[in-house]
Amino acid sequence: MVTSLLSTDDLKQAQALVAQSGLRFELPYDDLVGVFESGQLVAVGAREGRVLKMLVVAPAHQGGTLLDEVVTELVGRGYQEGIDSFFVFTSPALATSFEALNFNLLVASGKTALLEYGDGLRRYLTRYGRQVFPGNNGAVVANCNPFTMGHRYLVEEAASSVDHLYLFVVREERSLFPFPARLRMVQEGTADLKNVTVLDTSWYAVSSVTFPTYFLKSDDPAGAIQMELDLLLFATRIAPFFHIATRFIGSEPFSRTTAEYNRAMHRILPPLGIAVRELERRSAVGAAVSASRVREMLMRGELEGIAELVPVSTLDFLLSSEGIKIWDKGGSK
Amino acid sequence: MKIMKKVQAGTLQSSDLMVFLEPAESLTVTIESTVLKQFGELIRAKVDEVLAKHGVEAGEVRITDRGALDYAIEARLETALMRAEG
Repeated sequence: MVTSLLSTDDLKQAQALVAQSGLRFELPYDDLVGVFESGQLVAVGAREGRVLKMLVVAPAHQGGTLLDEVVTELVGRGYQEGIDSFFVFTSPALATSFEALNFNLLVASGKTALLEYGDGLRRYLTRYGRQVFPGNNGAVVANCNPFTMGHRYLVEEAASSVDHLYLFVVREERSLFPFPARLRMVQEGTADLKNVTVLDTSWYAVSSVTFPTYFLKSDDPAGAIQMELDLLLFATRIAPFFHIATRFIGSEPFSRTTAEYNRAMHRILPPLGIAVRELERRSAVGAAVSASRVREMLMRGELEGIAELVPVSTLDFLLSSEGIKIWDKGGSK
Repeated sequence: MKIMKKVQAGTLQSSDLMVFLEPAESLTVTIESTVLKQFGELIRAKVDEVLAKHGVEAGEVRITDRGALDYAIEARLETALMRAEG
């Protein structure tokens, strides 16, 4: 029977079992479960958000149904929490044992494979089936936290050089501005561009699943592997669906993670048939326009200068009561 | 009957299936199965039969199957439908 692992002794056994298999016991997690046999922990598994991890069955107990039981429990409980699609990172050699459990292989690269349970990628693409346009299309993937003149410039330039441009707004809620607000600013700020379609990335690009370190800003070497998976997933599953032949990016003078992501793009995408075009950031008042600069100015209350950095539609939103509530967390200054 | 909430029934184990139900405007059924090529049509027919029997006209029905027999499909789906009602 699968049970929650809660006591200090449970945790000690879980740590030992995970370490024994060569994996790292990795905090945090939302759920940790296991199976005991005569007081001894023989299988363990954890869930952090949509990601299943630390799935281990003791060598003497492999070949049975323990992995199935642990995954069933984690999926069942996760579904009750509102999650309908689950991911697992594993070695390509173990991918088949997850495929036997109805996981779909999304992407594999060298040492890591990413699989999904719940058919979410297909459902995501199906949702946008009517927005697939033929031709030589391009893509921009951006967080737009908030939508600036820099984004506008990138989108305008990109849209003018392709048949159709898909602007993917990062869905992950780790930004100052929540996804619905970002989406609205982007939609209003690009409404006049006829060949631009605004979509969300769901969990399939720059998300806490495909690219957690983008949000953690850490120097974890795992970040490099995940950047690669994120880009492979884009190149092999998303881009072909939308006929995307070019990905446009802005040069990145500020964030190290994003600069590294840009470098990874130049390395990984062209061999897979996707051109990468990096546009120099536009500058205003002597410095490159960036969303982080806009956020800093908002925090300092320098509202006058912001008008030069964002489109009117974004400014309207920032100064609306809804917008003020988001950035003026310390109350009126 | 109407699917009122998000529910799940079944397991990922061999010879079993997982059923996920969600309220929706129209009826969609998706089936993933390790034996889809051989038995996809039969699984679909069984699922449609149970849904019709309970008068389910709308909802998102997702099934991941690992070679369950007919009566298991029926039992799991009916359990999920019962849970989705209340």
